[in-house]
Amino acid sequence: MSWAAHDLEPYAIQRHTRIKIAFVPLLLGSYAPDLMSKWFVYGIHIGGWDLKATDPVQFHRGWPGVGFTHSLLYGVVIAFLFWRLLGSKTWAISFLIGQWAHAITDTGDTVGTMLFFPWTIHIHFGAWAYAGQTGRMTDAAAYFSGPGAVWDLVWIVYGIFCWRVLTRSYFEQHVFTADAFWSRANRIVPTAALLVAYRAAFFYGTTRWIAWSLCAHVVHHYPYDISWGGPHWVPAAHSPSLTWPQLVGVAAIVGAGVAIAFGSRHELGRRGWAAIRSRT
Amino acid sequence: MPSRSQLTVAAGYVAAAAVYIGLGIWYTDFLFSFFVGLAYLLLVAWLVPLCVRRIF
Repeated sequence: MSWAAHDLEPYAIQRHTRIKIAFVPLLLGSYAPDLMSKWFVYGIHIGGWDLKATDPVQFHRGWPGVGFTHSLLYGVVIAFLFWRLLGSKTWAISFLIGQWAHAITDTGDTVGTMLFFPWTIHIHFGAWAYAGQTGRMTDAAAYFSGPGAVWDLVWIVYGIFCWRVLTRSYFEQHVFTADAFWSRANRIVPTAALLVAYRAAFFYGTTRWIAWSLCAHVVHHYPYDISWGGPHWVPAAHSPSLTWPQLVGVAAIVGAGVAIAFGSRHELGRRGWAAIRSRT
Repeated sequence: MPSRSQLTVAAGYVAAAAVYIGLGIWYTDFLFSFFVGLAYLLLVAWLVPLCVRRIF
């Protein structure tokens, strides 16, 4: 799992995507896969009740479980519902991009995600240890001691490098105008408060990266281990490696996806030229 | 390069971040929810300055 990356990626995506993007559903999509499940992975204590998944890894990323929330299909289904129920293609596409970014980012850990659900194989690169089953304190300490912390730091540095996306003028010219949500909210909430809310995910991602790093290494002295798959001091959960037939299947799906994307782009371009010629 | 007023705004956020980080280290539950972070930021970066401006 990733921590600050899911807070910070939406700022980079909206900066570089050429199509119209709405920030709120983009962020919602980026949070969506873990929104309803993370508390049950770590467990909570309410009154005399301890609520926790008996197999947190299976629950969070597997099937049976809610692992389908980290699949590409889940993003498509929720985006389709947004489109049909809210009547907004911009919200649907923005949610889809945010959710896909989350699902793809989480393939970086040792468990990975069922990206092509209902095919239940886990796509995983094993760059950093998945330790959700150890509880949130150990998970946080492990994540902020390994390559995951470096991955998040890349997004923080990139965000600071693109500091203009956090300015009032950028918010007013690009974010506010791209989505009617902001003008509706502006009827009851002043622009200054909306600007603060827009900056909140960047603030949250960056500050908790610093706070957890200090907590893990200054207060508790967990050792850093940024080697591939680290930190190796934590009992990480692992998914089995893909077999050759599974790899061929994944390559075929990715290849088909790329071919469809290029084909659609070519077709759109051809129609665009035809429309221009018909006008002249 | 950022303007002087942009740097002033950034300095305010850095100060808010320092307090948030301190609170988070002292009480780590503070770091687990985006909505807690959002509420904190709205309080210190919008509501408190607004009240101060109204009073003085």
